[in-house]
Amino acid sequence: MLRVRHCLVALLATAALAGQVAAQATGSIRGRIVSSDAQRPLSLVTVTVAARTARTDTDGGFMVSNVPAGTQILRARLLGYREVVDTVTVIAGQTIDVQLTMEAAAVELEAIVAIGYGEQEKRNVTGAVAKVGEGEFNTGRIISPQQLIAAKVAGVQVVDNNEPGGGLNIRIRGATSINASSEPLYVVDGQPLSTGAGGGINAGRDALNFLNPNDIESITVLKDASAAAIYGANAANGVVLIQTKRGQGRPHLEYTGSTSASSVTRVPSLLNATQFAAAVEQYAPTRVDSLLGQTTDWYKQIEQSAFGQEHNVSLSGAGESNTYRLSLGYLNQDGIIKASTTERLALGINYNQRLFSDNLDVRLDVKGSRTNDHFTPGDVLGNAAAMAPTQPILDSTSATGYWDWNTTNASPSNPVASLNLATNNGRAYRSIGNLQTQYVFPFFQALRANVNLGYDVGKSERQIFNPSNLAAQVRQGHGQLNITNGTVANSVLETYLNYASAFGGLPGRIDLTGGYSYTQQHSDYLTYNATGLASNLLGDNGIVPADNEATNQSVVDYRLISFFGRLNYNIADRYLLAVSARRDGSSRFGAGNQWGTFPSVSIGWRLSDESFLRNWNALSDLKIRASWAKTGNQSFGDYLQYSTYTYSDPLAQYQFGNQFISTIRPSAVDPNIHWEETRSTNIGLDYGFANQRISGAIELYNKETKDLIFTVPVAAGTNLSNYVTTNIGSMRNHGIELSLSAVVKQSGTGLGWTADFNASHNTNLLLSINPSKSVSKILTGGISGGVGNNVEVLQPGSPINSFFVYQQQYDSVTGKPIEGGYEDLNGDGVINDSDRRPFHDPAPKWILSHSSYLTYSHFDLSFTLRAYLGSWVYNNVASGLGAYQNLTGSAMPANLQASVLETEFVVPQYYSDYYVEDGSFLRMDNITLGYTFTYRGQPWRVFGSVQNAFTLTGYSGVDPTAGLNGIDNNIYPRSRTFTGGLSVRL
Amino acid sequence: MRLHHSIRDGTMITRTSKGLAVAALLCLAAAGCTDPTVAPKSTVTSANIFTSRDSYEQFLARIYAGLIVTGQQGPAGNADIQGIDEGFSEYLRLYWYLQEMPTDEAVIGWNDPGLPDLNTGLWGADNSMVNAMYYRVYFQVMLANEFLRQTVDDSLDARGQSDLKDQVHQYRAEARFLRALSYWHGIDLFGNIPLVTEADPLGATPPQQSTRAAIFDFIVSELGEVRDQLPTAGADTYGRATAGAVDMLLAELYLNAEVYIGTDHYADALAAVQSVIGSGTYSLNSTFRNNFTADNNLSPELVFAALQDGSRTQTWGGMTFLVHAGCGGNMSAADFGMDYCWGGYRLKQEAYRLFDTANDGRAAFFWTSGQTDSVIDIGSFNSGIAAPKFTNKTSTGADGSQMTMIDTDFPIFRLAEAYLIYAEAVVRGGGGSRAQALTYVNDLRERAYGNTSGDITDAGLTLDFLLAERGRELLFEARRRTDLVRFGMFTGGTYVWAWKGGQAGGVALGAFRDLYPLPANEVIANPNLTQNPGY
Repeated sequence: MLRVRHCLVALLATAALAGQVAAQATGSIRGRIVSSDAQRPLSLVTVTVAARTARTDTDGGFMVSNVPAGTQILRARLLGYREVVDTVTVIAGQTIDVQLTMEAAAVELEAIVAIGYGEQEKRNVTGAVAKVGEGEFNTGRIISPQQLIAAKVAGVQVVDNNEPGGGLNIRIRGATSINASSEPLYVVDGQPLSTGAGGGINAGRDALNFLNPNDIESITVLKDASAAAIYGANAANGVVLIQTKRGQGRPHLEYTGSTSASSVTRVPSLLNATQFAAAVEQYAPTRVDSLLGQTTDWYKQIEQSAFGQEHNVSLSGAGESNTYRLSLGYLNQDGIIKASTTERLALGINYNQRLFSDNLDVRLDVKGSRTNDHFTPGDVLGNAAAMAPTQPILDSTSATGYWDWNTTNASPSNPVASLNLATNNGRAYRSIGNLQTQYVFPFFQALRANVNLGYDVGKSERQIFNPSNLAAQVRQGHGQLNITNGTVANSVLETYLNYASAFGGLPGRIDLTGGYSYTQQHSDYLTYNATGLASNLLGDNGIVPADNEATNQSVVDYRLISFFGRLNYNIADRYLLAVSARRDGSSRFGAGNQWGTFPSVSIGWRLSDESFLRNWNALSDLKIRASWAKTGNQSFGDYLQYSTYTYSDPLAQYQFGNQFISTIRPSAVDPNIHWEETRSTNIGLDYGFANQRISGAIELYNKETKDLIFTVPVAAGTNLSNYVTTNIGSMRNHGIELSLSAVVKQSGTGLGWTADFNASHNTNLLLSINPSKSVSKILTGGISGGVGNNVEVLQPGSPINSFFVYQQQYDSVTGKPIEGGYEDLNGDGVINDSDRRPFHDPAPKWILSHSSYLTYSHFDLSFTLRAYLGSWVYNNVASGLGAYQNLTGSAMPANLQASVLETEFVVPQYYSDYYVEDGSFLRMDNITLGYTFTYRGQPWRVFGSVQNAFTLTGYSGVDPTAGLNGIDNNIYPRSRTFTGGLSVRL
Repeated sequence: MRLHHSIRDGTMITRTSKGLAVAALLCLAAAGCTDPTVAPKSTVTSANIFTSRDSYEQFLARIYAGLIVTGQQGPAGNADIQGIDEGFSEYLRLYWYLQEMPTDEAVIGWNDPGLPDLNTGLWGADNSMVNAMYYRVYFQVMLANEFLRQTVDDSLDARGQSDLKDQVHQYRAEARFLRALSYWHGIDLFGNIPLVTEADPLGATPPQQSTRAAIFDFIVSELGEVRDQLPTAGADTYGRATAGAVDMLLAELYLNAEVYIGTDHYADALAAVQSVIGSGTYSLNSTFRNNFTADNNLSPELVFAALQDGSRTQTWGGMTFLVHAGCGGNMSAADFGMDYCWGGYRLKQEAYRLFDTANDGRAAFFWTSGQTDSVIDIGSFNSGIAAPKFTNKTSTGADGSQMTMIDTDFPIFRLAEAYLIYAEAVVRGGGGSRAQALTYVNDLRERAYGNTSGDITDAGLTLDFLLAERGRELLFEARRRTDLVRFGMFTGGTYVWAWKGGQAGGVALGAFRDLYPLPANEVIANPNLTQNPGY
């Protein structure tokens, strides 16, 4: 802490030196804004000049006073219109007059994009950067911020797990790592969150759920490494910049509320009671007597129509020299499987104050929330699939009141009993805050100094309780209580200087940024696990005596120190150059390996401004870009570089005489573990036609990650285990992204229609596991069924996590798969593991998406379509339950998956490629219809939306988006959600 | 105007630079601003762990525990080795699979990776159970080596712990015994393997391949050096390595010396078991079954055992596996003091037929109800007679402390085997007395039969009889493969049993299968290794 204080003192000294204030001459700007098509006045346009803000009145008029004299940039913004940026010359003591017209554009990427430690005009960006504004966000019941941009940006794959607010993963241009995280870095209002998915700790479904999507104004994705390289150490997976809303205009109150209803779209195909009874009669005749002749659809018993509601209230406005926004959001969403819910209460404060003639700009952004998640307890989904449909739900004579197989041996159990008796709850409290100060040196306005101080604190609590009388617990465990509590406190100090001006005799302008960043994180995890509970009375609210108890505490500290710099050089918006470098020191590496340097360079050439193209009037913009960068990845566990000794828990002691000794075990270690590095190149082309009515970009990229941090087998006798985490292997992602945005019909009096299309293609290839090829392959992708069965592989020459299966033989007459009939691929006359081969992989080869935004009179309609091509799914429900052996394999017969009627397999064929299915699909992600009207002079809107309106797919299981690993093992079903809501403004 | 501005800008730059320089200096002066190092807090490192005086005992306990637990959390979690399901990765469970499943004794119907090929003897070099056993052996070896490196006298002196030397010397002897035990398993299963000792630094280049003979000599020499430094046998040292354990391990080595090094050492084997028997420390348990109960720690017959405790030493391997997996069909788990049968191993008919089931008490626990005599269907637990020899009930019929986790200790050496080794050494010409051999054998048979009706005569004391008798006395105690190899019957066609070579009736196996293959990945990872012939 002492050291942090030193840093602070140093910075305050800087601020004091810089804090020289001088009075300054000001003038005023008066003006009027009209629409370009009908010349009608536009009200509520936000006009910003030199950090002053005003809004136009009903006649389109506005007035901004106290504007510093000199040349100023004026921006006018209104939703549905293209932003206008104009240069005005303000004269001290005078009021100048400005007339502006704004052109309607249903959706337009806004002209300014955040690029990390600054912002840049979109047209001058040389990296691959995509910004999604509020108008383009996905609509309906959006629980996690990442859902806002699903299918909106080419090259960005958003993967959810179907649960309400379920854990989301984002892959930007494919996965870059195997054992480290492949999640992007999230930066909220300039503050980087800790690494990993959403950062921080997470007792609920998704760490980023603490952020209310309704508070978000825009999300910018830095896709290529040159754009992301300013975040060096954590940038290998791309960077997602989230900007929250700020106050503007007159003080006003906004309310948006909605209610929703969701239903299950698809459940696994299982045998019904009649089919099941027939199967038992044929394949397990000795067990016919155990069937009770009921017709229970277990899935019907656990699913529900789920209701949700959301309310957001915000108070915002802008004063002479400040803006503010206070927001309160409440969300409560039930899951379509009973007992699963999510609830969030979120508060947000944004305050911006300008002082000292606007030279000092102070921004405070604070977000805080409580999320409360109830998870479906126990293995409800697995048991709903496997429980025999001939058995009843209730049994008044049993200890629980629910019917269960009377056996102490392995057998499915009643999912309804688990739903009602067991609990699985997570609560997370999290707050992030950031105080940003920017000082413009009064006599040297080209120079700005920034100091950001931020915090990110979180506390999570997870409780899992399984009472001892639950059938599965009677068989094994006898009651379980598991409590995991964690706290994480992260503090960030960042300071940087920015200089933007013409420089010396050089043509053009330079924009130079240099800074320092210090991040420190302290986490503390406490876990308690007990089995053999003496009582069920307290549930998850108290600790009762137990046969086995294990308590564990883990304290982890982490520090990241960085120096960074960037130079943008712009000659007449035509020749563009950006160079950046960041040097990071991370506590996750040992001496000699702590520091990594991550440079980038990118260039752009605006061809459309060249004389040979200037006369081609249809062409409004044409820019080619090229970039190269090196970025790092260090989002994995701490202390890997130390040879640590781990104490055994109380259940793994060893007896010496009458004493049980807690043992210590040294870990296998590679003390030389170092940064994972990704080198990427990107070639891009931005184009625009017909005055940008048609615009878009084409990107080609290649990313090569080397020194992959990988847990790999090592030669026996060289380390303290057979696996060690070290830098080994390399992989490549390369691909193409196409995006097109077209204003098909300009709005105005009639129909307005903007259509966006995105297509992206990524190819992943594992190049090597290590240079000396000490290991030919590593199995991954654990499945359900048997113990330790893996169905995926990491093998050089194939995409990561390719399925690793036999080639199924089919009967030439019936066309049915032959049980145990596999191709002898290596021709050695024996069918064994050597005949399994990599066969497709879960990552989509093509992601296509289309969004349309239509307006007509007071109505607006938007929809988003998404398609994946070449994504493959392993249907584990079919491979596990699609075999008659399930009738005899456990103590009591288990239900079967319907594919068994086709395959007639007796023994499960886990490794058959029969179960690797094409998961390509086309889905209508959402459709929204809105109606806007004016009430008491304010815009009000009612809307309705449908999410997952339909999915077209050839996949036979529950959902082709089975998660990142492509293994569909009783995954949570996908819902269709209808939402209706109202937003009002007072 | 422009000129004017630039002058002003110039001065500003100078001033600002000064400010920045001061700030930078202040910042750099505080090392925390530029030093990203943070030391671990809730984990300890080799730099500080040994300042704790308890650490030596804790480390030693871990080497013992390496025989029975799979990680630092019980019964599973924070695993020692990877690449295999943790529950399967337990040392003695893997050893049991490799020693029992390919023989005439055990069959398991589970489809877990690697298991099916152990039933038939048709494993490949990528068999995950075989591979995991190899890595378990070296996990133990490397733990022991690290312990020996960290506990030299100079280090103790440097840590100001010179007074611990006597104690630590004994610990070092124990660690060397445990390393020798694993090396025995290693050369028995895999033949020529690397010899890695505390003299070889960690993380260095892959080790050279040694030979069975060199490691044989190493074990003999190590055991000779440590024998007198080990704890004295007694109730307080139950489970610890003692002189008796050393003698048993030597006896095993010498008994199989012809297989390992091509020269016989039956006289040495005889001398080693005479030393165990003659020590007077051990005696036969009057009740055979009480060597396999939840309170078998009370049995005077156990010379060395891996200790389990349902509450404190939990594992999915060892006895947890043996007790649960032996139970299935229409047996009641409660009869074995546990909650749950796994329906795992049964007898192959050839082993079943070794027993005079009507009279031999060692067959009293066999379970025939609902079971067929022969293993017709490997996949069905009902195919083959079940033999739940191990139980979580105590000798008095009480349940163990836990219903899922087992209290029963895993016997590694017991006195009965010393008797049988004595007899075999005599018959094989290692000296000693045939009359004494007969007495020892009949002692075991009288315990089994409850009277002298099962006694054999001198004429009956043959090698064939002894192989069969070992099958009866040591059934499922992880000796069978080694015995069959020593008798030349494990491979080839002189003796076939159900599913040997993949056929229900059994066919010959190639002689190269007397050894398991080195893991396929290991041969690639360590270019110094030559794979065993045939693989």
